[in-house]
This record gives sequence, structure tokens and C-alpha cells, in this order.
Amino acid sequence: MSAVIEVKNLRKVYGDIKAVDDVSFSVAEGEIFGMLGPNGAGKTTTMEIVEGIRNPDAGKVLVLGIDVKHHPRKVKTNIGVQLQTTSLYPRLTVREVLKLFGSFFPRAVSGERLIKLVGLEESRNKRCAALSGGQQQRLSIALALVNNPKILFLDEPTSGLDPQSRHNIWSVIEYVRKKGKTVFITTHYMEEAERLCDRVAIIDHGKIIAVDKPDKLISQHFQEQAIEFELGQKIGEDELRSLASVTNMLLEERKVTLYSNSIPTTIMALMDMAKQKGIELTNLYVRRATLEDVFLKLTGRRIRE
Amino acid sequence: MKAFRYLLLANARQFLREKAALFWTFLFPIFFILIFGAVFSGGMDNVSFDVGLVIEDDSAIAQNMSDAFGQVTAFKMTSGQRDDELKALQDGERRAVLVLEQGFGETIAMGGTANISVYYDPTQSSSVQILLPIVQKVVDNIDRALSGSTPRVQLNEQTLQSHSLRAIDYLVPGILAMALMQLGLFAVAPIVVDRENKVLKRLGATPLKRSTMIASTVVFNLIVAMMQAALIIIIARVVFHVPMMGNWLYLIGFIVLGTLTFLAMGYMLSAFAKNQQTLMPLIMFVQFPMMFLSGIFFPLEMMPGFLRPIMDAMPLTYLGDSIRQVMVESSAMHAHLINIGVLAGWFMVCLIVAVRFFRWE
Repeated sequence: MSAVIEVKNLRKVYGDIKAVDDVSFSVAEGEIFGMLGPNGAGKTTTMEIVEGIRNPDAGKVLVLGIDVKHHPRKVKTNIGVQLQTTSLYPRLTVREVLKLFGSFFPRAVSGERLIKLVGLEESRNKRCAALSGGQQQRLSIALALVNNPKILFLDEPTSGLDPQSRHNIWSVIEYVRKKGKTVFITTHYMEEAERLCDRVAIIDHGKIIAVDKPDKLISQHFQEQAIEFELGQKIGEDELRSLASVTNMLLEERKVTLYSNSIPTTIMALMDMAKQKGIELTNLYVRRATLEDVFLKLTGRRIRE
Repeated sequence: MKAFRYLLLANARQFLREKAALFWTFLFPIFFILIFGAVFSGGMDNVSFDVGLVIEDDSAIAQNMSDAFGQVTAFKMTSGQRDDELKALQDGERRAVLVLEQGFGETIAMGGTANISVYYDPTQSSSVQILLPIVQKVVDNIDRALSGSTPRVQLNEQTLQSHSLRAIDYLVPGILAMALMQLGLFAVAPIVVDRENKVLKRLGATPLKRSTMIASTVVFNLIVAMMQAALIIIIARVVFHVPMMGNWLYLIGFIVLGTLTFLAMGYMLSAFAKNQQTLMPLIMFVQFPMMFLSGIFFPLEMMPGFLRPIMDAMPLTYLGDSIRQVMVESSAMHAHLINIGVLAGWFMVCLIVAVRFFRWE
């Protein structure tokens, strides 16, 4: 597979803040590539530079082999872009907006096909102002597909949506990928990155700190699984840490996460201790490690604070 | 070209589907004309003043005088005794009372100067301002007759009015100019909203050229300007018989130039406004002085002299003047070339500043 996006040593500085700090990565044809990180990590800035709507201070970006800096319009003709927040023309209908955006490109997909693809049949004659958040986001994706692009850029496409709308959008994205398009997506939702992405770049403070397949990232950093619970009363960190088979732990207020390479051993030890000291444990459950845990391990912070 | 057409269509749809925009663009200027028109034409054109006449002299000259006043159509003359008429004046039944005292004719026959006393209420300034010049005119005419050049007293009432336009004739071209100013200045509001809502940024992620975007906005507003002008001219003509005397091509030319100038000014203002909330006060700050200091509602001669430099700087002064010249052939404040030059100058300055400072996001 050949690379359709190549980014080398990208830098962008705003005042004292290094929004993008020497970022390099490449995206292969046909894959869903995710950029995962907290707000302000530099995801959007990076993406917008690749899209050609923002200029970098340094570095080189090739999209479909074209230098974005020198031929931005040529790149824009062949990509589809969905921005983080766009409220569109409030008094135009879904169909009218699709027609309008189609007119900006040499060739456009029929509006009806896109309406069907994103499931807006019922709302095709509704004005944009009357659409729900999920419907607006779906329209926004339809608009990004209006030129039948080779690469689709999605900037936090499910941010602030309810689970139902989120699943709708995920299936649209999966369908698009099945059609052979490359998808570059930013998100701060772990589930989204784990479910959709073939490869994920974890970005923090403008730097990429890890790139790989989601399960590789997890298994690379965690052989163990996690036990989570809440404590009824305070207890020393050392006591928890010294439980059998615990490799690492995290204590946030009363919420505890124990990483263990032998869940049964640790659970037994935990139960014994709780009985002995009369400590109440609530909301206890066992799960495998996630990208959230990887992020936590790499940065010492949770992705959403 | 396809993009231009669809953007034009999108502009039109967005505009037609917003009732507030339709109101300010089309109904507001019409209200202005109807209200001002009703005030001026109802109040001034068909008015007649009750004037009392007291003649205490029985000479032929006094009789001539009385006849002459009787011919003034703006006056409804009543003759009577001095005490009765003055009482009527105090009761508000007369606007003025003219008294020719005994010996009036004799004084003139002797070659002296005879007085006509005019009683009026100085607080009724609006009617007095109209009344006194008419009386003066009649007296002047008699005077001239007596000095020998013309034997008969001839009152030519037309000469009293023909020097000045009717108020509505003066007003309508001004309202048209004002409407164009508002159109141009407010045309940028949707652009600022689009910028705020990241629509401009989204358009920037397509191959659409910015020049196409600007061209569609400019052409759309020129079309609206033409419709607005047509509506104003038609209403003014049908309701108040305001004529269109000059060359239509000149008129269209000035409408285009005016719209472009104020569009450029609007773009300039939008370059300094972060969002719609900051844009609106900025537009108000620019438009209100222009509305009142550009001779739109009343001639600039009526304004105090110290404001003159400001009035002379405002582009609306020149747009109003040129449209007024073309439409009702008012006496020129400036030559057309000066008007065109000043408007074009403003256009260029605003354009340069706008290009330099306008931000797309």
C-alpha cells in the first residue's frame, strides 16, 4: 500500500505555544488513520495544515503526492473535509446546500445519493437551522463526500453527539472505507479510535508520542488487565500497590485502577484485605486495558479531564 | 461560473428567507417616504391661512390692496373691525391680521411711506415663516405698481414657490441614497456571521476561489440595489408624483457607484469587527452621522457652519446630491464630476483598507 498522506517535520507555533512540534507521519491508501489526543493537543491544527487551509511554519506535506503548500487548490479538489464545528447556511435546505457545494468542484456526486448514504432522506427539504446536532454532522459528512474524494478528513465527527447518532456516523465512516477511500480522523474518544481506526497516532502537546494499530499499542504497553473500583474509605496507596500480581496502579480520589497480570490472584488478595479492614468496595469490575490506559501511562494524564 | 451562479442563488435564498432583511431593505425606505411625504404634502401644499383684514381707510389704494390680498390663494381673507379681528387672532381663529390705518391712501398720495400693520403670534413660527414672505411679496408688488412702472397690481403666486422644490421632491432622492448606503453597509453582516460560524473556513477547504465568492456578493447586492431603487422611484411617483426628470443611465450609474462605495465601506468595517455584536455598533457609528449630516432630510444650508467640514467629507452627501440632480434636477451642490470623484475616492480607500485588513477566519 502506498502512502496518500506524507507529513515530515511539521511545525506550527502560536505565540509561545508550540501547537505542532516536529510531527511526522504517513497515512496509507485505504486505511482509517486516527489522531487521538486531548483538546489542544494539536490534532486540529495538524489536520488543517494537511488540508491546505492553514500554513505551517516548517515542514513538508504531500497529499496524493501533491505538495499542499504549492498546489493547495489541486489538493482541495481531491479531498473531502469536515470541520470540527460548522453551522451551515441556516436558511438553505439540505438539498440546496449539497447542490451549492457540488458546484464548487469539477465533478460532483448527486445530492440524492449522498442524502441516502448518510440517511437524511426524511430531512432533505428541511432547512439546516432545523436539523438536530446529529443530522447536521451527517450533512457535514455528506458535504465532505460531494466531490467523491480520495481522502476524507473528519475532525471530531461525533463530538457532543448521543450514542445513537455516534453509531450512525461510525457506520457511514465504515461504509466509506469499504468503498476504498482513505479516512483521516481526529478524536478524543477512545472507543471511537479503537473501533474505527486501523492505526492510531497518540498526540499530546503538539508531539506524536506513539503510532500503531490500537491493539498493538495496548499490548505493547500492557500485558495486564485492569481492575476498577471505588473505595468506601481512604486507604494507603502502598497497601494497594503491594497486593499480589499488581504491576501498576492509579488512585483518583476514591476511584482506584489496578493493573494486574493475574486477575484472580489480585482479586483474591483485594477481597481478603477488604474483609480484614472492613473496607467497602463498590462498582468493582474487570476490563482489559484500553487506549485510555495507554494514554495515561504515556502522559500521566487522562485524555478527558 | 457554475459556482458563481449557485452562490448567487444561495445569497438570494438566504436573503428572501429572512424577514428582517426584507423589511429593512424594502419596507423601511418606503415607510420613510410615506411618513415624510404625508407630513410635508398634507401639511404644506394644501394649506390655507385665515387672515383678517381691517381697512380703516376708504382710498382707492387701500381698496386695491384689499383686492390684491384677496387673490392670494393661500389666504382665506376675512374683513372686519380692528377689535373683532384682533380678538379672533387671540382666540386662534386667525393666523394674522393686517391693518390699513386711516390716512393710508393720503400718505401715499402725498409721496410718503404708509404702514401696513401685521399682527401675528410669534410662537406660531411655522406658519409665520410662510405667511410673512407672502404678505411682503404682495406689498412689494403694490409698491412697484405705485412707483409707476406697471399700472395694475399683478400677483404671481407661482414665483413664490417655483424657486424651491417641494419637500418630497427633495426627500425622495435622499431616501434612495440612504437606502443604498444601508444596503451596502449591512451587506457584510451575513459575511461576518459566516466567518463567525466557520462557513468561510469551510468554503476555504474547497477549490472555490475567493474572488468568485466576493463577486457573487457584489453582484447580488447590485441586483437588490436596483430593485430597491425601482421600488422607491415607483412608490414616490405613484403616491407623491415625484418626477424622474433626468437620464436613466446616469441614475443607474450613480446607483452602481454608490452601492459599490458603501459595499467597500462595509467590507472595511467588517475587517475591524470580530463578530456581529461588534459589527453592528460600528455600522451605526458610521451610518447615523451620515444620515443626518449629508443633507438627506433637509438641505445642508440649514446646518450650522461648524459641521460643514464633516458634511463635506461624507460620501453620502455626494451620492444624495448626484441622485437628486438626476432625478428632480435640483440645483447642483457639486458638479457631477466632483461627485463621481469623491465617491470613487471613498471606494478606493475603503477597498484598499478592506483588502489589507479583512480576515477570512
